[in-house]
Amino acid sequence: MTHLKRWLVALFAVFAAVVTLNMQSVHADDSLVKIQQKGTIVMGTSPDYAPYEFLVNKHGKNQVVGMDVEVARKIAKDLGVKLVIKQMNFSSLLVALQSGKVDMVLAAMSPTNARRKSIDFSNTYYKSGQDIIINKTDAKIYKDRQSFANKKVGVQNGSLQETLAKTQMKSSTTLGLTKVTDLILALKTHKVAGVVAEGAVAQAYTSNDDSLVEIPGHFNLSSDTMGTAIGFAKGSDSLVAAANKSLAEIKQKKLIPQYLKTAGSYMKTNTEDTSMLHYWTYFLKGVEYTLLISAIGAFFGVLLGTIFALLRLSKHRLPHLIGVAYIEFVRGTPLMIQVMFVYFGIGIFIDIPALVAGLIAVSLNSAAYVAEIIRSGIDSIPVGQTEAARSLGLSERQTMTSVVLPQAIKNIWPALGNEFISLIKESSIVSIIGVTDLIYQLTVVQTATYKGVQPILVAMVLYFVLTFGLSKLLGHFERKMNHAA
Amino acid sequence: MQHKPLIQINHLTKKFGDNLVLNDISETINQGDVIVVIGASGGGKSTFLRSLNLLNRPTRGEIFFEGTNLVDLSEKQLDNVREKMGMVFQSFNLFPNMTVLENIKLAPLKVKTVTDEEATKTAKELLEQVGLGEKADAYPASLSGGQQQRVAIARALAMHPDVMLFDEPTSALDPEMVGEVLKVMQDLAKTGMTMVVVTHEMGFARSVADQVWFMDGGKILEKGTPEQLFEHPKEARTQDFLSKILAQ
Repeated sequence: MTHLKRWLVALFAVFAAVVTLNMQSVHADDSLVKIQQKGTIVMGTSPDYAPYEFLVNKHGKNQVVGMDVEVARKIAKDLGVKLVIKQMNFSSLLVALQSGKVDMVLAAMSPTNARRKSIDFSNTYYKSGQDIIINKTDAKIYKDRQSFANKKVGVQNGSLQETLAKTQMKSSTTLGLTKVTDLILALKTHKVAGVVAEGAVAQAYTSNDDSLVEIPGHFNLSSDTMGTAIGFAKGSDSLVAAANKSLAEIKQKKLIPQYLKTAGSYMKTNTEDTSMLHYWTYFLKGVEYTLLISAIGAFFGVLLGTIFALLRLSKHRLPHLIGVAYIEFVRGTPLMIQVMFVYFGIGIFIDIPALVAGLIAVSLNSAAYVAEIIRSGIDSIPVGQTEAARSLGLSERQTMTSVVLPQAIKNIWPALGNEFISLIKESSIVSIIGVTDLIYQLTVVQTATYKGVQPILVAMVLYFVLTFGLSKLLGHFERKMNHAA
Repeated sequence: MQHKPLIQINHLTKKFGDNLVLNDISETINQGDVIVVIGASGGGKSTFLRSLNLLNRPTRGEIFFEGTNLVDLSEKQLDNVREKMGMVFQSFNLFPNMTVLENIKLAPLKVKTVTDEEATKTAKELLEQVGLGEKADAYPASLSGGQQQRVAIARALAMHPDVMLFDEPTSALDPEMVGEVLKVMQDLAKTGMTMVVVTHEMGFARSVADQVWFMDGGKILEKGTPEQLFEHPKEARTQDFLSKILAQ
């Protein structure tokens, strides 16, 4: 175990050193030059926040649109570079900036003092009040934020609204969720009495859903929290200055109302037909990605899992320790953390797309579980089988591949099947870094249709069809193997 | 030809922890010999047999097979030696996921450079030889113990070994099946095959063995022709063992 500790310490030391180096390199401010050299500016956002940013289906393809996108487009145009949009969870945005995954964040983000500690902000470009969305049936009970005493209100995790609710609605409790769509769902199912949201967002939801109304929050907003600004990595002064120049022009030409109008027209096209059938391409795409991730995860999981199982079973000390360390470490940490580590952590060294990061994380995770299954399978084969094979002159490797593994796989097939089925379900974690799997697409449809429950039902049925189909398929192979012997 | 040494054992010693299982054994096995090793359980018979092809690595000593000291060889080099030393186990150890024919063909195909056609031909001949020609496509689970053990013998013979090692080949069998396996072994002995057999079948030892070795306490305590050993045992331990066995 001391070996293991030493390895871990060394690993963290290297990691810390690289992170420090990386931060120092940011201090030399070449942020603007860098953007111009690569010819693109990457905007990070969480498109579940109409009218700021949300998704529309254009010619069968998802597209991020909204007021923030219009602002970003203007900045990109002024810089003479192409705009690239990366989608992810709101709570992942700051990390994405710090790890260089994105160049700027436009996500209706308020420049709070807490955030200023880790990133830089442009000037504010939009100011909107903070309102509370409630069920229409409750309109007589709730008048403003004071009427929520001893009630529960919903807020987005890590948002300004969360801070406001916690400091200025002290007699209320808060429920923090990641997505606004989920918050609305919680409201409609009476899990919360109200949802604190930006004025423009509240407006968007209430005008698209007759059962909801908005009431003014009358929050006491100090100057730094009012309004919305663009986030940049710490120390990118030149880039911030360039963005501020564009923002000044937007202000002077009064472009914001125009942008909001554009966003509004997109929202209308979204809500024209909100039947789930209309969104079947969304779900199809989700199924495709979920299947892709699961299939590749299973393939590499089995491949790497076999290798790690053999390492762990090795008679030699070093391979054995490597096998044990890998399996125990991966099994001892949540897949969610691993996905974020691969995407953001490894992302410091090389820029990998979210899908690739998701595939790597899922494969590496699955490998650890498959390794243990395979090890138990190999252990279950009587030693006499190995002795018989070796006494016939088969080498150690031939004995493993021709005699032990084929029997082991038959023994562990049901356990492997379970692993594949849970892989389909657990791969949904990759949605947090913006991979468009079934869970991610579910949120997209929720956002687009302002309907909470129906997309969940559709996704649930789809997941069941996938796992049940796989389970039938595996059963078929199991019967085939049992037929022999 | 008859008396050319095939296996030369020098000071073979095996310890499992502090437990001395084989105590400084030095013996010679000549080409064409049928040696039957008898003795009480725990006397080291199986360990002795399994040391001959180094399934158990000796703690000390040398084993010369066809002039090579096996103890000096690496696992890789041993693979080439083991194919010349067929082994039959008490628990058959057939590969349950393969048919009888596949069981027999596996090693020739993997280890030797034979075509599938040749391997199949040899396998079928050997199955005829052990009286199981019609079971080629059966799986081991559908065979009786006696049939499985005969397949195991055919499987070992498929590598054309120079010596056959039998580790209590009939101990796991129902009594009515012992005969069919012993018959196959008897036929094999007649072909001039060198054989080392660990067994409790005294009838077989009497009728087939060139030499009977009595093992006790990790040593070959007494050896001789069947007649010498069974009719005129010299050692008290041998007499004691034989009287117990024959009283059964």
